[in-house]
Amino acid sequence: MTRIVVDPVTRIEGHLRIEAVVEGGKITDAFSAGTMVRGIEKILKGRDPRDAWAFVERVCGVCTTVHALASVRTVEDAIGISVPKNAELVRNLMFCTQFIQDHVIHFYHLHALDWVDVVSALSADPEETSKIARTLSNWPKTSPGYFSDLQKRLKAFVDSGQLGIFANGYWGHPAFKLPKEVNLIGVAHYLEALEWQKEVVKIHTIFGGKNPHPNYLVGGVPCSFNLEEVNAINTEKLNFVAKLINDAVDFVEKVYIPDLMAIAGFYKDWAAIGGGLSNYLAYGDLPTKGYAYPEYFKFQRGAILDRDLTRVYDVNGKDENEIKEYIAHSWYKYEGGDTVGLHPWKGETEFNFTGPQPPYEQLNVEGKYSWLKTPRWKDNPMEVGPLARLLVGYGKGNAEIKEVVDEALKKLDVPVTALFSTLGRTAARGLETRLIARWIQEFFKELQDNLKSGEMKTHNGEKWDPSTWPAECEGVGLSEAPRGALAHWIKIKDKKIENYQLVVPSTWNASPRDVNGKRSAYEEALIGTPVAKEGEPLEIIRTIHSFDPCLACAVH
Amino acid sequence: MEKNVPSIWKAMEAKGYSRREFMYFCGVAVAAAGIQSSAFGQVVEAFEKKARPPVVWLHFQECTCCSESFIRSSHPIVADIIFDTLSLDYTETLQAASGAQAEKCLQDTMKNNKGKYILLVEGSVPMLNGGSCCTIGGRSALEILKEAAADAAAVIAWGSCASHGCIQAAKPNPTGATPIHELVNRPVINVPGCPPIAEVMTGVVTHVLLYGKIPELDSQGRPKEFYSRRVHDTCYRRPYYDAGLFVESWDDDAARKGYCLYKMGCRGPVTYNACSVTKWNGNLSYPIQSGHGCIGCSEAEFWDNGPFYQHLSSFPGFGIESTADTIGATAAGVTVGAVALHAISSNIRKRKIIQGNMEESVSPNKPDHEIVEEVPENGGDQS
Amino acid sequence: MATAQPLPYRRVYVWEFPVRLFHWVNATGIFLLIITGFLIGNPQVLFRSNEAYQQYWFGWVRFTHFASAYIVFFNFLFRVYWGFVGNQFARWSSFFPVNKEQFLDMWETVRIDILQLKLKGKISIGHNYLASLTYIGLFILFLFEVFSGFALYSSMSGSFIPKLFTWMVPLMGGDANVRIWHHMVMWAFVLFTIIHVYLTFYHDYVEGRGDMSSMLGGWKFEKDKDLNR
Ligand code: HEM
Ligand code: HEM
Ligand code: NFV
Ligand code: SF4
Ligand code: SF4
Ligand code: F3S
Ligand SMILES: [Mg+2]
Repeated sequence: MTRIVVDPVTRIEGHLRIEAVVEGGKITDAFSAGTMVRGIEKILKGRDPRDAWAFVERVCGVCTTVHALASVRTVEDAIGISVPKNAELVRNLMFCTQFIQDHVIHFYHLHALDWVDVVSALSADPEETSKIARTLSNWPKTSPGYFSDLQKRLKAFVDSGQLGIFANGYWGHPAFKLPKEVNLIGVAHYLEALEWQKEVVKIHTIFGGKNPHPNYLVGGVPCSFNLEEVNAINTEKLNFVAKLINDAVDFVEKVYIPDLMAIAGFYKDWAAIGGGLSNYLAYGDLPTKGYAYPEYFKFQRGAILDRDLTRVYDVNGKDENEIKEYIAHSWYKYEGGDTVGLHPWKGETEFNFTGPQPPYEQLNVEGKYSWLKTPRWKDNPMEVGPLARLLVGYGKGNAEIKEVVDEALKKLDVPVTALFSTLGRTAARGLETRLIARWIQEFFKELQDNLKSGEMKTHNGEKWDPSTWPAECEGVGLSEAPRGALAHWIKIKDKKIENYQLVVPSTWNASPRDVNGKRSAYEEALIGTPVAKEGEPLEIIRTIHSFDPCLACAVH
Repeated sequence: MEKNVPSIWKAMEAKGYSRREFMYFCGVAVAAAGIQSSAFGQVVEAFEKKARPPVVWLHFQECTCCSESFIRSSHPIVADIIFDTLSLDYTETLQAASGAQAEKCLQDTMKNNKGKYILLVEGSVPMLNGGSCCTIGGRSALEILKEAAADAAAVIAWGSCASHGCIQAAKPNPTGATPIHELVNRPVINVPGCPPIAEVMTGVVTHVLLYGKIPELDSQGRPKEFYSRRVHDTCYRRPYYDAGLFVESWDDDAARKGYCLYKMGCRGPVTYNACSVTKWNGNLSYPIQSGHGCIGCSEAEFWDNGPFYQHLSSFPGFGIESTADTIGATAAGVTVGAVALHAISSNIRKRKIIQGNMEESVSPNKPDHEIVEEVPENGGDQS
Repeated sequence: MATAQPLPYRRVYVWEFPVRLFHWVNATGIFLLIITGFLIGNPQVLFRSNEAYQQYWFGWVRFTHFASAYIVFFNFLFRVYWGFVGNQFARWSSFFPVNKEQFLDMWETVRIDILQLKLKGKISIGHNYLASLTYIGLFILFLFEVFSGFALYSSMSGSFIPKLFTWMVPLMGGDANVRIWHHMVMWAFVLFTIIHVYLTFYHDYVEGRGDMSSMLGGWKFEKDKDLNR
């Protein structure tokens, strides 16, 4: 029995530490710890609720915007307003942009080096590579010359002796299975994706002024439309958005999805590894008739227990018995003690570090061992994320979701149960990106139709002035972030934030075990994961990466 | 090892650029930096000879948006930076290795390049409770920073977190978040912004590499090249400011015409950043251009200068909407009241004196009191 | 009949011309600074139908603020100088209470004029020490406005004078804070003006020594007995 410590887990956002117990080449127990805290919930107290979006947006720069969106919704819910249709559409466009960019970045820059052996790409045959690439899609950059130039560049890089970000990677590890040529394609698309991602985010720049961290506004969106004015979002800007959308759809359909399918085909063994929890939760998002009507969301709301796709439970963020956060193993204290769970409206954030003083070798996992709280839905640990979203949609019989999921399963020739795995999680992310790439086109068209009909409004100023608010009110903003179900809760008193609590996707997935000793998603998913070389934690990071960890989010 | 290292010229040559194109590239770089053409030779030499300098990128208390911003750079693009310009030897966000292998990258780089590597820091350092609020590999952020800064050739603080403490240092700063220049005993280049503009980040790095020296810094350690002007000074909405044409409420007529956002709380007039010139995401736009005021994200303590939608911030302890004006107007009201009371009281309390003055005074109507102007000898001058 | 009755009052030349000039330049300047400063902080909706190229009113407001700023600043420097060469009422020594007697004088003024616990007492010919102390306070606030104002102005000016004050900015934690305090302190001037003008009226009304007009002509009217102390 050995204890493997992986700290830092890299190619993620934030500071994650994994301690795993390995017996007989397999993981038998695991502990996931977030090792950085900022206390943003404490900082929010007493501030203007209309400013909150900017604060919480800084919870994370990788999933930038999603917290801002959740926040404006939360405040709007509390003060009781809805936003104009154009604002909803602009928010949806920004949402979709974020998901597409974030998922592509995750696949190529955070996850791919777990599957793609860069060193092996050095000996690939460019001719052969070109042939394979052309069977994948009609993406233009597939000539033998293109691949051989790239290979030369890579060789020169490796020959320089300065390996930069590739230094000390797990190259040559027995768990790498791709043919050399596919590895070379992977490297090519790593670079192409890096260049492409900076383009698609320009949709944020147009509507929100910059990326990362574009601007949001309680009551709508800050940008104004004016088709007769150069100083507003006008035809030229909209044409730019249209082009960016087209390019994004192209990249997803011709590069991301084909690569995902090709790579997945070589790693089908991972469809049986890393399944972890059997409960899934999604809040749903992409409203089409307003935030108040979740039944018209593109992503549906619901919970699945025990992988039973035939039954999807309702989820209510306002029911104080449904969502609770525990701190039995977290470095916090509650007034009511370590065993109680608190609904976020009653949430408390009080530091209570009891871990070893740095520098330390090992955490005391019997006691508190992480800066994350432990959220539970009706006291069940839940997995959230792309997989949960697809499963909830699938379970609810959503035709679009069923179509892309079934198509992929057929292509890979695996059963539905293959989804409950490390590979399934990674595939689900790609599949939902396909859907989002479709939806973003729909939203854009609807926006143009609206403008055509003369509907320009982007802000509802009814309750902008805090003197119109009740003395006390409370709200919740349920939404989806790239990594899963995200919600914020607010209590407003005398126009100020009385309490603000965030329960974030990575909090669900990466949290320490709860008061009953039940593991959360990361820890559970690691159980049974094979470890070929104890000194090289490649398989551990594969499964962990399949969740796309974001620890700045998780702790906040 | 030195011999194997490709220079920027070699790297360009390998990518198929001709010598002529290379010389042109150097010329553009010279012009862009505004350096004298006599220095052209040096620049060519620098590009030709320099290996990729080793770089260590540390992450502490942050949101990774500085890294995210960095990879949005459009000139130079980040793939070229990683492959041709720098050797990004340690960066948790992108590096292949994890855990012990990753930490080895850091140790090797520091050991083999003493005094030669560039240290980039993203995030602040929490000082509460011996650093337990941020540990990496079981070590505190402070310990890692001190070690890495000791032998670095240059230290760059990315973003408002590393430069000023940013959001986690906002009141009440629960973790004791501290900017790095307060913790290392050496000059730090501060590149504030939440996040900084991508091209400003790559611009600062390339400035150091190409011209072999730290860019000129202002009194707050910011490169003057990017932080010497307020957003307001070059804002394209500035003519509306000077004309007194303001957006009065969101999405009103004025907003749809792109009038000045000053009254919606725009912090452009008090914010030093390159947004209105360099702009964001490849020169495309910046917050104001999208209709939202600047929130001052490159300024120290900008989080505590809110609310963002008020021109002036609230005064602590006076409630959320209390500005200098509400407090001042109240004080003025009280003063006027006090003055009025005082006037009434004077008329009552000092009635006798005033009456005495009346009686004492001569009446021009009484014929026996003729007023005669007495001309003093010295002509009226007081001495 | 033509016998002239000697009046119980004599004229005293208190405020020399340079002091009067300083006063009114200062009063006008500060008045303008308050008005324009307030407008800079709270711009009003005017001429909405015009286009930006047709008008510049806000620019003129700011120009007036900056021009007045320079004028009051140099005016103040002049007054500092005059405090060393002017008459006894203009001298700096008349501003600072130093000995016990002078502090008692101040307390006396509080009792007579402010709290009105006492009806009558000593008359001061120039400033009383309470007044002069508030002027000192005002001068300090004025210097703060100058320092902070020029510090803010330094980023929009090529001149060396504003640049002398840039050190204020990092000291106060950025332009935003400088501006807030610059704005806040404006209110001190508003309060001062209300009280100051009222008290001038008050003195004139209760004491009848021509306080109001003294800042115009320079003369005050004092009883012989008060002068012969
Ligand atoms: C008694 C003297 C002064 C008063 C009462 C005063 C008052 C004000 C006020 C209320 C503001 C508006 C602040 C805001 O809300 O943003 C302001 C702005 C300003 N003041 Fe003054 N001020 C005084 C003296 C000065 C001086 C001596 C200068 C020196 C140049 C100055 C320069 C400025 C500048 C540069 C601004 C900002 C204008 C802008 O950014 O457009 N002020 N002042
Ligand atoms: C109608 C308006 C005003 C009148 C009638 C007036 C009158 C006077 C008088 C009579 C004095 C001498 C008071 C004394 O014996 O101590 C005085 C002094 C002074 N006043 Fe005013 N004042 C006016 C407005 C202002 C304003 C707006 C300011 C500036 C904010 C101001 C600033 C001063 C200062 C600084 C002194 C001391 C002068 C020196 O010793 O150099 N006054 N004023
Ligand atoms: N909300 C949020 Fe997150 C998280 N977890 C999201 O996708 O990454 Ni920074
Ligand atoms: S400066 Fe702002 S953007 Fe950069 S890491 Fe800090 S919070 Fe994120
Ligand atoms: S929008 Fe902001 S930065 Fe631009 S001119 Fe107006 S106040 Fe200045
Ligand atoms: S908010 Fe920040 S991005 Fe620029 S315009 Fe203002 S400094
Ligand atoms: Mg929370």
